[in-house]
Amino acid sequence: MATITLKDVHKTYHGDIAAIRGVSLAIADGEFIVLVGPSGCGKSTLLRMIAGLESITSGEISIGDRVVNGLEPSERDIAMVFQNYALYPHMTVRQNLSYGLKNRNTPKEEIERRIAKAAKSLEIEPFLDRKPRQLSGGQRQRVAMGRAIVREPAAFLFDEPLSNLDAKLRVQMRVEIKRLQRALGTTSVYVTHDQLEAMTLADRLVVLNGGRIEQVGTPIELYENPATAFVATFIGSPSMNLLDLNTGNAAWSAPAALVGKPGLATIGIRPEDITLAGDTDGGERFRARVRVGAVELVGAESYVHGTLANGEPLVFRVAGRSRMMIDEEVEVAAVAGSLHWFDAAGRRL
Amino acid sequence: MQRVVFPNKILPYLLVAPQIVLTIVFFFWPASQALYQSVIREDPFGLKSGFVGFANFSAVLSEANYLNSLKVTVIFSVLTALLAMGVALLLATAADRVVRGKTFYRTLLIWPYAVAPAVAGMLWLFMFNPAMGTFAYMLRRNGFHWDPLLNGNHAMILIVVAAAWKQISYNFLFFVAGLQAIPKSLIEAAAIDGARGTRRFWTIIFPLLAPTTFFLLVVNTVYAFFDTFGIIHSVTGGGPARATETLVYKVYNDGFVNLNLGSSAAQSVILMAIVIGLTAFQFRFVEKRVHYG
Repeated sequence: MATITLKDVHKTYHGDIAAIRGVSLAIADGEFIVLVGPSGCGKSTLLRMIAGLESITSGEISIGDRVVNGLEPSERDIAMVFQNYALYPHMTVRQNLSYGLKNRNTPKEEIERRIAKAAKSLEIEPFLDRKPRQLSGGQRQRVAMGRAIVREPAAFLFDEPLSNLDAKLRVQMRVEIKRLQRALGTTSVYVTHDQLEAMTLADRLVVLNGGRIEQVGTPIELYENPATAFVATFIGSPSMNLLDLNTGNAAWSAPAALVGKPGLATIGIRPEDITLAGDTDGGERFRARVRVGAVELVGAESYVHGTLANGEPLVFRVAGRSRMMIDEEVEVAAVAGSLHWFDAAGRRL
Repeated sequence: MQRVVFPNKILPYLLVAPQIVLTIVFFFWPASQALYQSVIREDPFGLKSGFVGFANFSAVLSEANYLNSLKVTVIFSVLTALLAMGVALLLATAADRVVRGKTFYRTLLIWPYAVAPAVAGMLWLFMFNPAMGTFAYMLRRNGFHWDPLLNGNHAMILIVVAAAWKQISYNFLFFVAGLQAIPKSLIEAAAIDGARGTRRFWTIIFPLLAPTTFFLLVVNTVYAFFDTFGIIHSVTGGGPARATETLVYKVYNDGFVNLNLGSSAAQSVILMAIVIGLTAFQFRFVEKRVHYG
């Protein structure tokens, strides 16, 4: 168990292609950090730099009180779970689990004890003598987790470990990873592009964009107070509606107090904060007329994809099944407290 | 395995016909001729021939020279296959680490494969000829009494090296492809698991190369048995004193030089049986230890 500290970390490929542009981050002992962002944002690169699989162009990474910049991956006391599991196909599950320990000259009884413990908690005891190819995707995933756990490392690094699983199994494994991490109390860094996975797993979320940190915070902080328009649209599903103040003010109405801030360029409203007008009574409200384009029923609620009079898209949620017809025009509203304001550079006001 | 079915009934047969025709004309026909001739004895002038049953076989199998030739073949094949595969694996792992000029090195290492066996043999013969070879001169100057023309072991070393040298490129190509097929994440997982250098090679990389190694073992054995005739013919001619006379070389020598066609045919039938048996053995027993994907 250890803290992980990143100080102004940079990564440049071939001298001029910058993948990571100055990331500083302090990860507390036992914390579950999720790195999230669109593809190409540098989240995997950053994780691999912590693991020692990528060199650090400049800056400093320390695990515990050791600077690890010059250390081999095996000397950093970390364990990694890969997207494709990276199980050794020619070894049995037991050999896969013991391989890292044997390389470190762990006593035989200690290896046996750790494997037994990990296998029990992951429920992979029946497969210990099978080869990886005889296992299902979910079972392989568990073995990959087991290989990390038996090492009892200072930190776990997860590189999109659930993206090869089907939706149902993914939810199940997500819960399990969280439970295991809580029980072991091991510092974890987890990379994903799935914002739902990020929200549910993280103690703190790190949103990356173009090799820089956009915002760091607990999932609820990021959801309620996104620091930038990028974070606002990335966190939450469906993503937040962003309305351009310069082109859009004819298409909707709002009291001057809501849209009169100096420098305001964009207002954001989450689909779940928009209601059909009439449902909300009193208070100063944002109002707009929307032409219904499509209705997505997702079970307990429906998402209506519509367009405003100026052609800008607007998505909003209605509880239960919607009876709205395509091309129908409806009046929607949002209360003042649910609005987010951003300036021309996308920063929160 | 996915089954693909052609809608046309005749087209598939037409498509495989060239290969079938080639196999029949250049393999089954000569093989059947060898089978036929192996039970025939011909007079020295080729005027008449008669059926002799298994007499050719029993004559061959009781001949001391034939058993010597069998021993020579085993030693030669094992050494050639081991040397060719070992050096190729070493070069392939080294080439895998090269970052700059990867293609350049690979191209250079593949070139020897384009050299004809007889030419390769002459190359090595010139280099190590006791009378005029540069390397032979260097060896002698350093106190090593090098003479492949008189010393059977030296002759064997020379043809093994020449035969292996030619096959290294081929093996190298397959080993490079095999190394590239190993998922990068497995190597990274091994790096995190603390396996370095030779340990990583023998516990992770070598087992994952097993399918390639097995394939090359079969190919190299067959190569050493059959395709090295040109090298042996040009370097040692089977000598000195039959020290490098392999089964194939003896088939040629007895059949086309000594014109004992019946014996030669019987030998090629035995040789065919040996290679079929050996390949079957490799697939039956060695392949069991191979993990595919």
